[in-house]
Amino acid sequence: MAKHDKNIGKGLKVVGHGLHVKDAVEKVTGTIRYGVDYEVQNMVHGRIIRCPHPHARITRIDASKAEDVPGFIGILTHDDVPQNDWEAAWFNYRGKVLDGVGRFVGDDMAAVAATTPEAAEKAAELVEIDYELLPAVFCMEEARKDGAPQIRDEGNERDPYGVAWGDVAVGKAAADHTVDCDIFYESQQYAPLGRNACIAEWMGDRVNVITSSQTPSELRDGIHEALGIPLSKIRVQALPSGSSFGQWWSNNFMMIAVLLARKVGKAVKIELDNEECMATVKRRHQERTRGSMGCTAEGELTYFEFDHLIDNGGYGFKDDVGFFCVDMWGKNGHGDYQIHGINTNMVTAGCMRGVGDCTLGASVERMADQLAEKVGIDPVRFRIKNQIVAGDELRMQHSRHNIKGAVDEYIKNVPEHLRKDWPELFKLSAGGTRALLELGSEHFGWDQRWKGWATPTHSDGSIRRGIGVGTGAHVCGVEFEGASNAMVRMNPDGSAKVHAAVGRQGAGAETTQAMVVAEELGLPLDQVAIETGDTDSCPWNHGSLASSTMYRTGWASREAARDVKRQLLAIAAKEFFDNVDPDELDVDDGEVVHRDPAKHNQRIRFADVLSELRSETLGQTSSITGSPRVPMPPSTTFARQFGAQFAEVEVDVETGQIKLLDFLCVQDSGTVVNPQVLKNQIIGAAICGSGFAIYEEMIFDQETGALENGNLLDYKLLRCADFPHDAEVLFVEDPDPVGPFGARGAGESPIAAGIAAVAQAVHNAIGVWVDMPMTPERVVAAIKAERDRHT
Amino acid sequence: MTVLKVNGRPVEISDRGDRTLADALRNDLGLIGTRVSCAEGECGSCTILVDGQPSTSCLMLAQQAEGKEITTIEGLADGDNLHPIQQAFVEEQGFQCGFCTPGLIISAKAFLAENPNPTADEVAVGMSGNICRCGAYPYIVKAVLRGAEKIRAVALAAE
Repeated sequence: MAKHDKNIGKGLKVVGHGLHVKDAVEKVTGTIRYGVDYEVQNMVHGRIIRCPHPHARITRIDASKAEDVPGFIGILTHDDVPQNDWEAAWFNYRGKVLDGVGRFVGDDMAAVAATTPEAAEKAAELVEIDYELLPAVFCMEEARKDGAPQIRDEGNERDPYGVAWGDVAVGKAAADHTVDCDIFYESQQYAPLGRNACIAEWMGDRVNVITSSQTPSELRDGIHEALGIPLSKIRVQALPSGSSFGQWWSNNFMMIAVLLARKVGKAVKIELDNEECMATVKRRHQERTRGSMGCTAEGELTYFEFDHLIDNGGYGFKDDVGFFCVDMWGKNGHGDYQIHGINTNMVTAGCMRGVGDCTLGASVERMADQLAEKVGIDPVRFRIKNQIVAGDELRMQHSRHNIKGAVDEYIKNVPEHLRKDWPELFKLSAGGTRALLELGSEHFGWDQRWKGWATPTHSDGSIRRGIGVGTGAHVCGVEFEGASNAMVRMNPDGSAKVHAAVGRQGAGAETTQAMVVAEELGLPLDQVAIETGDTDSCPWNHGSLASSTMYRTGWASREAARDVKRQLLAIAAKEFFDNVDPDELDVDDGEVVHRDPAKHNQRIRFADVLSELRSETLGQTSSITGSPRVPMPPSTTFARQFGAQFAEVEVDVETGQIKLLDFLCVQDSGTVVNPQVLKNQIIGAAICGSGFAIYEEMIFDQETGALENGNLLDYKLLRCADFPHDAEVLFVEDPDPVGPFGARGAGESPIAAGIAAVAQAVHNAIGVWVDMPMTPERVVAAIKAERDRHT
Repeated sequence: MTVLKVNGRPVEISDRGDRTLADALRNDLGLIGTRVSCAEGECGSCTILVDGQPSTSCLMLAQQAEGKEITTIEGLADGDNLHPIQQAFVEEQGFQCGFCTPGLIISAKAFLAENPNPTADEVAVGMSGNICRCGAYPYIVKAVLRGAEKIRAVALAAE
């Protein structure tokens, strides 16, 4: 069993330092290239024809008028498309590329190619399509009823995903206080800054795909499934993206570009405009939590019971959000919850940053707060009392989908000697919220500022101020869709290159993965470069999703570097150190050294070791390639990241307007590989979470399900002055026994924590709970409803 | 052909009257640092300077720029030497994905020309015409303050 060593990650040369990101100069000079900035010679432009109806089947397509547009080249319809289902990561899309049925307003129906974007747009408008209209359904509750219009062959509702532990009846009997809830969450839009484009170019029977994506390998898998061609004939070159949060993984418009290019025999570029990005790709689900929770008079939780709905829109196929936010409260001995994924005739919904944590998690936090208020315990102490810390059991193993069984299957073939250093499965390996809450409340001055539940900290005229605290947790990547791999190559000059297929959506992986490898190889960061996007040179990787990049890919990058180091030291031992045991050697600043300089005091440059290798092998090998040589333990069963955030808000009870006055983020992601990068990411999560809490809402037409505010004018985002510029981030670094140098995941727990903190702060300011987004109208309505209830 | 003056040099673009300045900068001149996102003047990604004034180039026709001095992000650095505001954005990491960054740096340049010694609150308001969806705002404020310091130091040294 791995020892929980608190000193992992201390005193390192590269890891732990706030180095500038590798692409900083490209970003500030505007030279970094995203998907929209690429072109290939002789390419043509594609435009997607979109469904004007919420649910309809094509009966006739007539492209004759489009053919007259100067520059028209060709059209792709469902008749040209292999009728294979393809799947994006985590069931964010499941369906055919085109099948002649539109399942939401804006759905992809066909595509045209022309010599210019303008000609393509004009031709697309002139394609005449007749539709047979089908009945449509937009509400999750309606869509799951018998006799509802069926959106998919598999039916509208997925099998429920559930977790149950203990005995809820016992937990209910033990409760002195209970609360229940029925909360509906509107959809948040990714609202990307930066559009996306995809170029597909066929070379014989091979295709090259250039686009912005966080999941290069999954995109290649999707093309493989959609077209039924071997993976070896597909090359994805994934580029950096604008803000993504899970939007740009593998998307159907990329499949259309591939098929349209094959159909017209030319390279095709499809660029989505802003409205297409917001209205036709995907979004956060609409969700609804119903449930109850109970606790003793001393404030110990006795049970959870939840029934949670998520709306998958047209092509989402998810069923499993949110077990991390429930796990976090796992001191509670009895629980039962179910998630139901339901399709509707609205734009596809998928994983947006903190999927489930921002919704089901917010419901759990609100109910916990209501219980804490009933028993008169402040929210910091209530969390410390009921949330897990390292060593506690993780409840998600009691899954109705038999996660424990799946894990047993996963480890069955791993020999015992490779498992001996694994942490105990199904128990939290490191971290927890307690240290975050203690540090954060001290730094925030919680005890001095707290005036009691539903009590403003300041009241003046129509102004009420309140403070709040929220917590969030998330997994650090998941192994069930495949083991993320990485490769490290040491070049003849002793520099190294990492090949790891992850995203470059602004989270700094191009820098932090290289930092992990630089640390392991004893190289300065400048000597380590990285390729993140090319599936021809990178081994399969899950990509940047589920907060996996630093944890699961970082583990693979480090193991690959270890393998390089092992080979390097073996050659050095033989050729330069009198055949000593290679374990007596080490790397330091680009040189191989003996751990005991008294025995050998020479320092041999990596380049000299590699030259030796070259001469011995007659020039056949001039570089060393490394890969992980041991299996990564199934980290879903033990690794979590935690965030706690503290906020002060000001609410005008006359206008309903909310201002954010103060914010403190405290984060446990194990060892922090690059504090500058991570602080920025944590603050970004707090801001995105605050937007979800007070502004952001996709508004859908009630008759058609069409998005009404699919642009940045009508869809409101926080601006620079809307968030406190002196907000701080503090770290508690409880090192992980498996992650690289003790690091864990980071991106998703902080968004959930921020949402809960703002929601609670508003409650404390005005004395009522407001459903999110807490827009001025909703705040005023909630205050009025409470006033009416008392009169 | 229409002649524009971009980053101090005359350049030619086509006479088409139907295209935006952003489009001409990106596609005729290869100046991809001018980013287009919302295309309705709301996000600020495509901000450039027109005779020193910040403008959203997605809403301006290319022909309207004839005879005016255009500055894009590509016109800020002096060879390999970054502009002080760019250097400050590197040092404070005033970005994540980087898509909004050129527009923000151009806005910051115009803002600091008007207000060379701003408070943090003034910077936060001054930068609110540009959206950063990643939420790097506090680091953007720090970067603009640091950029202001650098510019003042350069001016002081020149005196």
